[in-house]
Amino acid sequence: MKDKRTVLFSAFRHVIPADYESWLERMAAEGWHINHFRQWSSMVVTFKRGEPKKYRFVYDPQVSPRKDYIATYEQFGWEYLGRMASAHFWRMEYNHERPEAFSDSESVVARNKRTIFAVSVSFLIFLLLDLFFAGMLIFFPHSLSKTDRTQIVIAEVFFCILTILLGAVMLLIRKNEKR
Amino acid sequence: MSLEQARKRYLPMSETMFYILLSLREERHGYAIMQHVKELTDARIVLGAGTVYSSLGKLEGDGLITVVREEDRRKIYIITPLGRGILREEALRVAELHRSAEGLL
Repeated sequence: MKDKRTVLFSAFRHVIPADYESWLERMAAEGWHINHFRQWSSMVVTFKRGEPKKYRFVYDPQVSPRKDYIATYEQFGWEYLGRMASAHFWRMEYNHERPEAFSDSESVVARNKRTIFAVSVSFLIFLLLDLFFAGMLIFFPHSLSKTDRTQIVIAEVFFCILTILLGAVMLLIRKNEKR
Repeated sequence: MSLEQARKRYLPMSETMFYILLSLREERHGYAIMQHVKELTDARIVLGAGTVYSSLGKLEGDGLITVVREEDRRKIYIITPLGRGILREEALRVAELHRSAEGLL
């Protein structure tokens, strides 16, 4: 039996924070554990096989947390798992009542808005790249060689798709901002 | 933040904000606030770590509470005169609700 499992683009398969948390929880219940999140975990994440555990995970985007951030969560019994870009991850083992880090709807919505903001940064970068390549094709078509043009068209299509996807992600989180 | 701005931003107040401000009439850190509120409300309100952390940040940024000191990376807060003023206005509003609700029970 394999004791490692790698998942690609996990953050793009479960784009709503609450869904990402539930997915991690299901994995842990099946005995697949992740003990540390890294900058690029949204692209590649590796789970290790272990005992099935009942964990509650928390996805909390904080671009520049204050220095009491970690201590506050730890005091409440959360275990820090690191950060994936600006999203910090926490987990807590539980038996009966599922613990919540965001105990009122206001803070759940605020968490989801912070997520949308984080996505919007990448969205804007890709949008600028779209405009840049489109601008080259429109304004300087003759100064580009044929291969250059082909490459730019491919890049333009690629970044356009990413921009549209990220836009859709933001809308989806917005629609589900209450959970 | 001026009293006028604070009124606009905080009144009427969420239960979370109300109980955090109420707890901070005495010096407390985040976890102690949660325990205090849990006790006051008979475990009806159990504040989460993320909610406490972000509420404290917001209240401190707006000058309704302030940091008294730090103990092993934990900040200990207390309410400011501005916070007391806002809490009092909220209490008056809640008292009015209470009077209006009499007779319904």
